[in-house]
Amino acid sequence: MTATPAISNAATLFRAATTSLADSLTTAVVQVRNQNSGSGGAGLIWGGSELVLTNAHCVPRGAAIEVSNAGRWREARVIGYHPPHDLALLAAPAINGPMLEIRDAESLRPGELLFAHGHPLGVRDALAMGVLHDIARDRRTGQPRWIVADIRLAPGNSGGPLVDADGRLVGINSMVVNGLGVAVPAALARQFVDRVLAKRAA
Amino acid sequence: MSPTKSKNPLVELSASLADAVETAGKSIVAIHARRRIPSSGVVWREGGGVIVSASHTVRADGDVAVTLPSGDSARATVVGRDSATDLVVLRLSGASAAVAARADADAARIGSLVLALGRPGRKVSASFGIISAIADDWRGTAGGRIDRVMRLDLSIYDGFSGGPLVDATGAVIGIDNSVLARGTPTALPAATVDRVVDELLQHGHMRRPFIGVAVQQVELNGATVARHNLSRDRGLVVVSIADGSPAESAGILIGDVLLSAGAQPLRRPTDLLDALTSAGDGASLELELLRGGGIAKSRVTPVDRGAGAVAEVASEEDDR
Repeated sequence: MTATPAISNAATLFRAATTSLADSLTTAVVQVRNQNSGSGGAGLIWGGSELVLTNAHCVPRGAAIEVSNAGRWREARVIGYHPPHDLALLAAPAINGPMLEIRDAESLRPGELLFAHGHPLGVRDALAMGVLHDIARDRRTGQPRWIVADIRLAPGNSGGPLVDADGRLVGINSMVVNGLGVAVPAALARQFVDRVLAKRAA
Repeated sequence: MSPTKSKNPLVELSASLADAVETAGKSIVAIHARRRIPSSGVVWREGGGVIVSASHTVRADGDVAVTLPSGDSARATVVGRDSATDLVVLRLSGASAAVAARADADAARIGSLVLALGRPGRKVSASFGIISAIADDWRGTAGGRIDRVMRLDLSIYDGFSGGPLVDATGAVIGIDNSVLARGTPTALPAATVDRVVDELLQHGHMRRPFIGVAVQQVELNGATVARHNLSRDRGLVVVSIADGSPAESAGILIGDVLLSAGAQPLRRPTDLLDALTSAGDGASLELELLRGGGIAKSRVTPVDRGAGAVAEVASEEDDR
């Protein structure tokens, strides 16, 4: 083994941390494809459960859906659907990965680093970096409704995770508004998954 | 290898950036002086709360409503504006807020990590990127000098113009602007802002010294340079003179070649502007010129044409 050069500066440390983040997210994110139209996006493996969370708009009702991680496509079935939050849950047999820790939106601060993982314009497993811009709240309840990030997203990022600097799940990327990335808060995503699973168990 | 939280440089940088936003946010106000969306302003100096913002976003003169960093409402008065740098200065009425901390002048380097911040409402929001280029001194169309304008690789969102560009510690590097350079994100350095603030607080407008000549650069031939023992081979030929202007009163003629103004050699038309600007209020300036093959001298007293100048208002499309 050759000697590794001494880690010399902040930029080197930064690179090591971002590449490690990208690697760990790659194991948690799948491609989602609509067999009929060929369009699709990203999905987050809901760890250990053969479930994949994605955007409702990536999996229109009635479409035949398939997902892939590491290049092998498998059929998946929509088992939960919630267009108001642009969320859908897929049963994806044999798809497994880590479960990301969830970060509550209330603890987020503007300027914090955020990372989006997905497949923008078909580029697989791309990592984008930005910062928290703002949290849009529900006018009635005051609860976080959308995470708004200063981050460059494109079609293909839809359904992929937005994470903090520590790799914790902040939201599910959903759309771009005025150049800003807009994501569904992770807490709402978890509530959605819990609701779907409770209904199936009942 | 699981990264420990305190050692993860991303987590540390992320916390620093959020701290920077929080710190700088204490000096950012929202200004309600246009339809649609408020704009941002920075508490720049003590002395009754001097605020700077982007002129094109403040579409009212006189008394305007602002939201303080505390969330309280207050009023502010427009002190003056400069169309060349698109800056406006306001003064808080009976209220105050923390003055923004300033970064060292050398904090702004190409590649520096920066945040553009705004308060387009009650809360501060952030945009992140780097300084992508720093221009040399240049001059706006109205003649105002802008030192080292910064081009930014980040987005200046709605309501961000007039807000601060800060470094990773939250110290202010400049004032963000989305219209100065054809819609590309830029920031004016603090030094330029200081000069404009000084001028506006003192005079209420940017002075535009005027003598009433239009000039063009000319090359002087070797024989002329040798005959008069000149130190340079460029001058400014007078191509027109305004009626009733100081230049006319001073007896300047079309065809005169201006060589120097005060101690300032005149190589380019902008040299003449600088010489006039550096002359004090009401002071006269000695012009050295070539006329009919000989050297002549003439004294001229610039007048201020800034007082009547109307601030240009950018079009609604550019109105970020």
